[in-house]
Amino acid sequence: MKMKWRAGALLLSAGLLLAACSDKGEADEKSGSKPVEQSDSKTLTIANGSDMVTFDIHDHNNTSTEAIHVNMFNYLVKNGGDEGFLPDLAESWENKNDTTWTFKLKEGVKFHNGDDFTAEDVKFTLERVARDESLLEYGSYKQIKEVNVLGDHEFEIITNNPEPALLNRLSRLGSGMLPKNYIETEGWETFLKEPVGTGPYKFKEWKRDDRLVLTANEDYFGDAPKWEELVFRAIPEDSTRVSELLTGGVDVAVNIPPTDVQRIESTDGVHVAQSPTQRVMLLAVRTAGEGPTADPKVREAIDLAIDKEAIVESLLGGAGTVTRTRVTPGNAGANESLYGVSVYDQEKAKKLLAEAGYPDGVEITLSSPNGRYLKDKESVELMSAMLGEVGIKVELELLEWSAFSEKYQNRTFGDMFYIGYGNSMFDASLALERLTFEQAAGETDYDNPKTEELLKAAEKNMNPEERTAQYQEAQELIAEDRPQIYLYQLDAITGVNDRLDYEPRLDEMFYADTITLK
Amino acid sequence: MKYLLKSLLKTIPVLLFITLIVFVLMRLTGDPVSLMLPETATQEERETLKNSLGLNDPLPVQYMHFLGDLVKGDFGDSFRYNTDALELVMERLPATIELAIAAMIVAVIISIPLGILSAIKRNSFMDLFITGGAVLGKAMPSFWLGIMLILLFSVMFQLFPVSGRGTLGHLVLPAITLGTGIAAEMTRLIRSSMLEILGQDFIRTARSKGLRETVVVNQHAFRNALIPVVTIMALQTATLVGGTLITETVFAWPGLGQLLVQAVNLRDMAVVQAATFIIAIFVIVSNLSADLIYRLLDPRIKYE
Repeated sequence: MKMKWRAGALLLSAGLLLAACSDKGEADEKSGSKPVEQSDSKTLTIANGSDMVTFDIHDHNNTSTEAIHVNMFNYLVKNGGDEGFLPDLAESWENKNDTTWTFKLKEGVKFHNGDDFTAEDVKFTLERVARDESLLEYGSYKQIKEVNVLGDHEFEIITNNPEPALLNRLSRLGSGMLPKNYIETEGWETFLKEPVGTGPYKFKEWKRDDRLVLTANEDYFGDAPKWEELVFRAIPEDSTRVSELLTGGVDVAVNIPPTDVQRIESTDGVHVAQSPTQRVMLLAVRTAGEGPTADPKVREAIDLAIDKEAIVESLLGGAGTVTRTRVTPGNAGANESLYGVSVYDQEKAKKLLAEAGYPDGVEITLSSPNGRYLKDKESVELMSAMLGEVGIKVELELLEWSAFSEKYQNRTFGDMFYIGYGNSMFDASLALERLTFEQAAGETDYDNPKTEELLKAAEKNMNPEERTAQYQEAQELIAEDRPQIYLYQLDAITGVNDRLDYEPRLDEMFYADTITLK
Repeated sequence: MKYLLKSLLKTIPVLLFITLIVFVLMRLTGDPVSLMLPETATQEERETLKNSLGLNDPLPVQYMHFLGDLVKGDFGDSFRYNTDALELVMERLPATIELAIAAMIVAVIISIPLGILSAIKRNSFMDLFITGGAVLGKAMPSFWLGIMLILLFSVMFQLFPVSGRGTLGHLVLPAITLGTGIAAEMTRLIRSSMLEILGQDFIRTARSKGLRETVVVNQHAFRNALIPVVTIMALQTATLVGGTLITETVFAWPGLGQLLVQAVNLRDMAVVQAATFIIAIFVIVSNLSADLIYRLLDPRIKYE
């Protein structure tokens, strides 16, 4: 009896120890990690870090929620990146004048409950979000003045001002088309519990914080759905998500921490897919006032002193791309000559500081959130050390997100702050509007009349080529003036079962039918 | 009966105080608007949202509104899910109760035999091993234990599912993770309680009557040693609930703990209020029932 006890206890402790060691993810030790099974099941299971929040498509701004919704609801048009805008529910469209757009809808499209999809549904959907200011997506749609129904499958959108980015707005979060009749007769509560859309997959069940299940919509107006069932699981703990991937419990696991990449790569049957996201990390710098950063030479020295490539390699495990602009490829108005490049020259930085009147160094403040972005604290600490090497002594202020956010809103930061900006609009206007004179006041205080003129003109320019040229020139000026010093664009790291053919998208959406079995 | 009524009445100020503390702390520690809107949101958008959430009123006014709604059983809507907070909490409750009961069973199965064994084999190697194990079990952080159990039994041996809720298999690892700490606490308590009883006169009498040792231990000592154990089991409710916060997050168990962690992170005030309120009721009720069970086990105890 005694012996058995001891043996059992020893075995358990040994097992725990062994498990603890294998957690370190050393590539050469494949201790016990069995190859992951490759089933041909027609169920696709995707693990997110958090649960979907709601079926009210207008009242959230959560990318991972939208990534699920795109399988249930259709937009009017799809943003095809380099291919331009592609038809989805709308068959064709025309920009009649500066503020009027007409659309023709596909015929024969039905909602999951059998109702026909018509222009009335479009009016209902878009006018709701354009008028109800309590909705989280209101800000992105308030530019729409009204939607006029011209026929069952024809309508026009009138905007308050010229809106060159209207199609960008209509091909993103908040633009999934809702069933007017169903919502008006059954009420919102019913819709939120049993949502219907026009998409290739329809609602089956939602167990909050656990899983959302969708099944194929056999009557879909487009190509037949490729999967029988989609399961979206919510697994908040990173290492649990990775373990589910390694045991074949899920086919795709998002947000893999860089430290777990080796563990996945060293297991047969799964791999890591790395792809750019819309998030660009940057330093926002005060360009006016008494502080040293008001001198453009100091700002240039700061940019030159930071080795962005080194940060991406050492802290992010290579999961990022250096950039000198926030408008990265895939966004309308991108200046690709500023992407994938960075400046780093510590000797020149020292020289510039001396020229600026700081031969013995200078002190600046840098504020950063702690715990908001991947490796934020480590990144700013490393940057501070790099700046120290050229004689810029950094007084670092690390703040919890809500404290940081308060200072951010009140614009009370010192010389510089570190932040990451996304861009759900896929257009330069959203990326650069913070540098217009009005919005920059009190933050970067950026004031270059030439940039201002270009940004203001582009904002309302309905000629796409001309508009792109204006935005590209503005980016050149911004890269030179450095009110924001761009560092790198973050990559998404996704774990994928080898049975799938899957490339993560820039917009981080999961269009299930673009994910196929090998 | 009078005692029960009096105890129930006493809980009302306690619950009110808890709502006040949670209310103030949630509002002091940050602003949900900054967590709900992206970095690129304008000041105007932030103000609009703040107004629509009713966060622009002075704090005492907000608290009065909250209390007014509370009387009607309304905790308000979750900012995140845009739906009734209490409904969200009640929806998660069965999962958490299931996990808590399973963890308690694990704790009882481990602690009773080990506690008795280490008491009757006092100062032996076995005793040392068990008490040492209990210290370890108590000291082990549950998130670490959870992750290790997943790596060992799910990834390496593939015996149990990694995470989620559904089959009995899903329950095993989270229940062990949550139950271990409590088992450790209870083992130590059963041991010391048994030792105390075993040294008493009536045990000596029982032995001198010539009763077999198993009868002495099982029928005389253990029953009496159980009284403090029942108390500690009820007091462990708070530990259990605290443990679910971590265990449920590690195992993606869709219960109250995970909901509360997310709600606190996102300053989803209504959900935090509703969840802490329900948890507080649980803890109060389990403490009260401990008092009552105590009395059943030992009729000498009287409440005035």
